[in-house]
Amino acid sequence: MLDLHPEPALHDVVTALTQRLFHEARLLDDERFEDWLELLCEDVSYHMALKSRRFRADRSAPIAVGAGNVFNDNLARLKLRIDRLRSGFVWAEDPPNFVRRVVSNVEVLPGDAPNETIVHSVIVIHRNRIDGQNRLLTAGRTDRWRKGGEGWRLAAREILLDHSVLPDSNVNVFF
Amino acid sequence: MDVASLIDTSTGRQSRSIYSSDAVYRQELERVFGRCWLFLAHISQIPRPNDFFRTYMGEDDVIVIRQKDGAVKAFLNTCTHRGNRICRADRGNARSFTCNYHGWSFAPDGALAGVPLENEAYFGELDRSKFGLVPVAQVAEYKGLIFGCFDPAAPSLDDYLGDAKFYLDVWLDALPGGTALVGETQKMVLNTNWKLPVENVCGDGYHLGWAHAGAMMAVQSMDLSGLSVGNSSANLDGGLSVAGLNGHMALTSLDGVSGYAFYPEPKPMLDYLEANRPTVTERLGKTRGEQLWGSQINITIFPNLQFLPGLNWFRVYHPKGPGQIEQWTWAMVENDMPENIKATILDNQCLTFGLAGLFDNDDGDNLAACTEQSRGWRTAQMDVYTNMALGRSGAREGFPGDIAAGLVSEHNQRYFYRRWQEHMQASSWSDVPTYNLNPLGSREAVNA
Repeated sequence: MLDLHPEPALHDVVTALTQRLFHEARLLDDERFEDWLELLCEDVSYHMALKSRRFRADRSAPIAVGAGNVFNDNLARLKLRIDRLRSGFVWAEDPPNFVRRVVSNVEVLPGDAPNETIVHSVIVIHRNRIDGQNRLLTAGRTDRWRKGGEGWRLAAREILLDHSVLPDSNVNVFF
Repeated sequence: MDVASLIDTSTGRQSRSIYSSDAVYRQELERVFGRCWLFLAHISQIPRPNDFFRTYMGEDDVIVIRQKDGAVKAFLNTCTHRGNRICRADRGNARSFTCNYHGWSFAPDGALAGVPLENEAYFGELDRSKFGLVPVAQVAEYKGLIFGCFDPAAPSLDDYLGDAKFYLDVWLDALPGGTALVGETQKMVLNTNWKLPVENVCGDGYHLGWAHAGAMMAVQSMDLSGLSVGNSSANLDGGLSVAGLNGHMALTSLDGVSGYAFYPEPKPMLDYLEANRPTVTERLGKTRGEQLWGSQINITIFPNLQFLPGLNWFRVYHPKGPGQIEQWTWAMVENDMPENIKATILDNQCLTFGLAGLFDNDDGDNLAACTEQSRGWRTAQMDVYTNMALGRSGAREGFPGDIAAGLVSEHNQRYFYRRWQEHMQASSWSDVPTYNLNPLGSREAVNA
């Protein structure tokens, strides 16, 4: 296990990972997608499941074949999305939308492997779209970050979107 | 309202006011959504007694409930006392629905089952039988698809679908195990008039190579009727635009495989098609088994249901005023498919036409801007056109409907607006014409 005690070690790890999240958000705000990919592990899993609004007491059976996903991506799929965004043919992004991410509520916990941590955070994505209107997307994230020769890299991200109906016409953004 | 002046099918003209006018929209709720058969749910979404699924018919909130005896009923989702919504969940299983406001509760068959203080406050004089949930006038099923209709005078669902069933069955009846919708509902708000996405999918192969060029470059894995990135070429022999079927439409390739053209890794699907094609051909005949099953095929059931076997997305649009919709999408599977094939379909549907769909994310802004550009003082007085390939349609051996060649045509859109106009002009179903053009001879119709 990564030793998060004594305090100075914890402080260093929390600072490093918080800075990593902030840096990642700035890369994405600036559409530096190739630099963002450098922060991801080769075996990265990037996932956002679909969900529905259910009664607390609901006992219905799990949905056949699974809930389905908004993102169910590995590195190759993330590159596919970036290929599309970089194609010059995605009219919904030209002129560019003004996008700003706010990342907060960062909580760093030990991971299962000695070189890994679990990092909880909240992300708010504000998009000022081509139509001049604003959209606000919020989500919770649970990440697994892995430390190697190049520093901390993202091994897995589970994103919980806070909208039962997506309040926007596309998800041309990464969380 | 002078509906005759809003649409001219002979020239392919539409007044832009049909996308923005409040008066047009109010009349649509009455004469289109209040009159037509509307998709409610697939039987696979409410398999057990007391399973329920919440949806909309126009702007009316509706609960669809599986009964103890296996039948399906649908009710307005509103308390008969003061009108509060009684079911706030999207789906689930419930033995009763209790209103939040005063605690009236309703059984799954709609009966008013409980009223707090019934004897004390109502003095035992409340006639419960008059205060059950209000049922949707007609509910019927076609091969797993449950439809509802508010108009008791509407034709049967079977007559309503008419010869469009020839195309519906390419999915619904291909294999003996039937079909299912899988995954949670993928819901998205789009600031568009509801007719624009219907028009986009019912016949508009023209936009594909241009609006979706980026996605095609990223994932397209095989030819799709010669449609190419940047719309530099199209093969009009490779597909059909089928309309003239009571407002229903099909837009289809004829190669039997291109439904999977937008799968980055189509091989498992192509193997599945190859293994099952003899069975499908035996059930549906040579034309459908070899040319339609597995093809890219867009099917539209008037007014607001569209699905694409192959790409495997199934969708309804719920209007929220003249300028907004909720778009609901699910993945489509055949029950006879192996589990890994079902999972692959759900996964790829979400990748291509889900909330973060590589293709789907190209359409919303175009439709929203078409709507916005119909709202101005000057633009609302202007027209738009679907006048491509005017007068170039006819009968085609082996396929019902009035048919134009190719996926790039505006033939289907003109029939969509014609049907819309017919409903908007008619004061009741008795004034709505029925037409199933160029019906098949019986020798080809079934099990050829």
